[in-house]
Amino acid sequence: MPQIFRPSADTWLRLAAATMALLLSGGLASAGGFAGSTYVNQVGWIEEQPVPFSHKHHVGDAGIDCRYCHASVEQSARAGLPSTHVCMTCHSQIWTGAEVLAPVRASYANDRPIAWMRVSQLPDFVYFNHSIHVKRGVPCVECHGRIDTMPLTYRAEPFQMQWCLDCHRDPAPRLHPVGEVTMMPPPPRTDAAARRYGEQLIRAHQIDLGRLVNCETCHR
Amino acid sequence: MSRQWRSLDELVDSRSFRELFAAEFPSLTTAADWKRRDILKCMGAAIALAGLDGCERQPDERAFPYVRQAAGETLGEARFYATALEFDGVAQPVIGKTRAGRPIKLEGNPDHPASGGKTDAFTQAALLDLYDPERSQAVLHKGRIADWQAYDAMAHELARRMDASGGKGFRLLTGATRSPTQLRLIGAMLKRWPAARWHAWSAVPTASTAPDLSRAHAIVSFDHDLLGPGPLQTWNARGWAARRSAYHTGEGEALLFVAEPTPSLTGVTASHRLIAGTARLPVLLAALLDGTVAGLSPREKEWVALASRSLVRNPGRGLVTVGAHHPPALQQLARRLNDQLGNAADGALPAGPVEADPIEPLLAAMHAGEVKALMVLDTNPVYALPEFAEAIERVPLRIHAGLHADETAFRCHWHAPLAHDLESWGDARAADGSVCLIQPLVRPWLDVRSKAAQLATLAGRSSSDHALVRETWGSAWAAGANFEEQWQETLRGGFRPASSEGVTPASAQAVSASAKAGAETPPRSNDELTVLVRADPTVWDGRFSDNPWLQELPKPLTKIVWGNAIHISPALAEEEGLENGDLVELSVAGRSVSGPIWIVPGQERRTILVHLGYGRHHAGTVSENLGFNAALLGPAGSSHSDATLRKVGGRQLVASTQSHFAMAPDEFVRFVPSPNTPLRAEPVRANMYPPLPMTEPSWGMAIDLDLCIGCNACVVACVAENNIATVGKEQVAKGREMHWLRVDRYYEGPPDDARQVFQPVPCMHCENAPCEMGCPVNAAVHSPDGLNLQVYNRCIGTRTCAAYCPYKVRRFNWFDWTKEDAPELQAARNPEVTVRGRGVMEKCTYCIQRLQNARIDGEVDEQPDWATEVQTACQQACPTQAIVFGDVSDPKSPVSRRKANGRDYSLLADANTRPRTTHSARIAREDEA
Repeated sequence: MPQIFRPSADTWLRLAAATMALLLSGGLASAGGFAGSTYVNQVGWIEEQPVPFSHKHHVGDAGIDCRYCHASVEQSARAGLPSTHVCMTCHSQIWTGAEVLAPVRASYANDRPIAWMRVSQLPDFVYFNHSIHVKRGVPCVECHGRIDTMPLTYRAEPFQMQWCLDCHRDPAPRLHPVGEVTMMPPPPRTDAAARRYGEQLIRAHQIDLGRLVNCETCHR
Repeated sequence: MSRQWRSLDELVDSRSFRELFAAEFPSLTTAADWKRRDILKCMGAAIALAGLDGCERQPDERAFPYVRQAAGETLGEARFYATALEFDGVAQPVIGKTRAGRPIKLEGNPDHPASGGKTDAFTQAALLDLYDPERSQAVLHKGRIADWQAYDAMAHELARRMDASGGKGFRLLTGATRSPTQLRLIGAMLKRWPAARWHAWSAVPTASTAPDLSRAHAIVSFDHDLLGPGPLQTWNARGWAARRSAYHTGEGEALLFVAEPTPSLTGVTASHRLIAGTARLPVLLAALLDGTVAGLSPREKEWVALASRSLVRNPGRGLVTVGAHHPPALQQLARRLNDQLGNAADGALPAGPVEADPIEPLLAAMHAGEVKALMVLDTNPVYALPEFAEAIERVPLRIHAGLHADETAFRCHWHAPLAHDLESWGDARAADGSVCLIQPLVRPWLDVRSKAAQLATLAGRSSSDHALVRETWGSAWAAGANFEEQWQETLRGGFRPASSEGVTPASAQAVSASAKAGAETPPRSNDELTVLVRADPTVWDGRFSDNPWLQELPKPLTKIVWGNAIHISPALAEEEGLENGDLVELSVAGRSVSGPIWIVPGQERRTILVHLGYGRHHAGTVSENLGFNAALLGPAGSSHSDATLRKVGGRQLVASTQSHFAMAPDEFVRFVPSPNTPLRAEPVRANMYPPLPMTEPSWGMAIDLDLCIGCNACVVACVAENNIATVGKEQVAKGREMHWLRVDRYYEGPPDDARQVFQPVPCMHCENAPCEMGCPVNAAVHSPDGLNLQVYNRCIGTRTCAAYCPYKVRRFNWFDWTKEDAPELQAARNPEVTVRGRGVMEKCTYCIQRLQNARIDGEVDEQPDWATEVQTACQQACPTQAIVFGDVSDPKSPVSRRKANGRDYSLLADANTRPRTTHSARIAREDEA
């Protein structure tokens, strides 16, 4: 009975299997890498804005509190982008002729909003609420990074579900007294002290950690 | 237990129905014969694509902050304003919810006695009318776009001519209105032009009285659909429910006797319904009045005797009422009967300082060529009154103002776009006589004028509607107090109580209803067919026919959507050999319409019912090519004997949801003989799953079928709150409607006189939810507080959950229904709820956005009892409070008390799913009275 396969067939089969395995694992790895890349999550990517607004200048140098402009952060789901009117409370007095502020003045004069590019963006099926996070002592810096060092604003954290869950699974070490929430950064403390404080807070507010990772907490 | 059936097909157990029932998705039963390999290919592709879906980069997004933020606004938080909508002369008081200046939801004004926080389906859907992308946007002159400048010049010239002639030949025609500002402006106009005339007309005759049903222990209604759709539905339903709830606690009676030719919501809710042709009503009323029972059938005798006994037993606490479309002689008889029994004849709706003329003199004057100029304000007689269409051609100057460039606009030289009530200043009177201020929820984005401003324009004034309304009340309230304070106070609350107004009730007379509507010729013989023309329960007189929410709303009794039909009795269908959908021609005195047949159990043998509101010629794309115009047979409310029905061959699609989402046979609606008789206890069934731990709060719902009147307010409220897509007639016919909450209607008994009962079915939020066990990707999960969640971003659309759901409450997005929505419609959406994409399963969430926001606000504001105040959208709208929602872990909560009333049961108890939504049995006393 003649041989069906030539001697080389075995080699070809092994080679094909290895190629398949390599392609599959390579594909998976690159897909994973792609999903976690800054191209997708946009961490550190600077959006071009109509006005080159510097948080470094306003927060870091001038020391303006976050809530001066993002006024609804303590009461509302949204921190709120400030209205042109808020910009003009100062800039009708200082830097009144600055070239970079021309779009702001134009917006105020023509009653047309400034078209900012969104930096901190969540998918439409995610419902994040600022007020409860502030109330429970999650500092701004946890999600928005060292905004006081950013001449142009970029996304500091990936804003992906995995990243949200990291904190929701173990919020204790990230919690601060409410008074420190807007500090850049909040006063340093040891890891043990941070955890101790966070665990006390969780007990005091009867926060159900199981509930924090439930779907309905963020998705509706 | 007697058998409960959904449609005649099911009753006779036709094969097609069984096939429909066997298939989870009836739309797939006709799918092509798929090969196994094709299915595998599709599955593979679907899974691969589903996986890739997560890898996309989020597109860049612009953010537009305010230039100047309104004082008092918190970004991202809703604001609420008290206002009202005027519907056929009756204000519907509402609280409008706005987000970033966009109205997104209307709720009843909880402080107003005519609303108590409740609404009807029309009021819920009015929001979408505001955003209608096909609303009239520009002044039209002879069909071409003109501008307000040209219009004002025309109005100025008209005013000059009228000043010269004292208004001779000028006629104003409006819809029914009781708005004090409009009446003041009309009064001023009539004073200035004494020879001018004002006519008021509404296509549908409405009652001129709004009695307080909460005090009526025995109601006898002669074809008066008290609880049915209309401007007084919320008022009547609330009153009736208050009485019925008191009866549940053992206080007094709540008897409702109805004699009617065709089933109505009042009729099917009644404790004693009698099928009586229109011609029998005077006979029955006379029998009730003087006890002459000669000539009555045994069934009629029994009904009259019971009704009579109930009325006599409840002197001063009863009510005899006759439908507004019946002749004045019949109304007079009812009034006499009420007087005899000492029943309070109160509740007359207040009339204005000026009396409107009916439309008949206008028609006569137009035919005679006496009318030189006609202004039609916010009414559409050319559509709903065919003789008007001929007469109007004889008027040399015709002006129309309305929300849409409709049939009447088409016949007029000028058309002026009207502002919606939600973007106008105005006022109106509610059912209790109180004055509601109408304030805009949003500044008009179109160049439109409100009704008050239109009337002022006519008189050559260009005041803003705001100034006009303030002018009205500036003189009325001046007595003593500071006007500005009173104005602000009234705006905040939305109304001034009737007592503070010194309301003078008008003598009971039909307001603005066409006197002809009641005209009827008694049938010559018993075998003659009688045609009834009535307003449509969902699009009314056609004014809502471009509202997709209302078009897709199943009509309460037939469950027909997107069209009308010729409704006949089962006996007549059998006699004529007609089936649902058969095309027939219906003729009355030489006028005829043709449409599909629909067989209605419980309709009088020789009665044929047609609904107004369809067959529009100059309306938007939504109502294009839908149905026939029943007004061609006669005005709404009229009845015509000597009709002929002729089969013309062929069939037409009638989309009805009555057999969709049918459940496995069960005693769906249960009955108890009295409020105190508990249902027999269900055996505790073994459960292989550990019991669900009760957290605080744990959510649950109870629906009292004894209070549900099937009005559909809950369904539209759910659509508005949860961004539910409308799918259109063809898709509904395939069983693809998206409503999360359906109101099932079951029949019981013989088809000719079947008992009809309603059962709202939202997601049951089962503790042992079969859907959760079926989902391969864990998109159906349970929350600790008892919610059965659907995670849209996980769902890959296998539809297993829907197949597993015994209650058939899951809805699948077969297409991307919303992607091509006009920007206006996108603005109407609730930003708190995800807009679902194609290929995703969705269902009732117990309004999780409201629960989550209430929880967060409660925690931020440190209010531990936040759970007691949260309401679902359906519950909030329900005018009879049949739906109660809340915390079932608290035995004192309203929902826990409802569930403990002894009448509470789980639907499909055999499935042992332990639903959190339960129903309360209906009370049907065999010996009532």
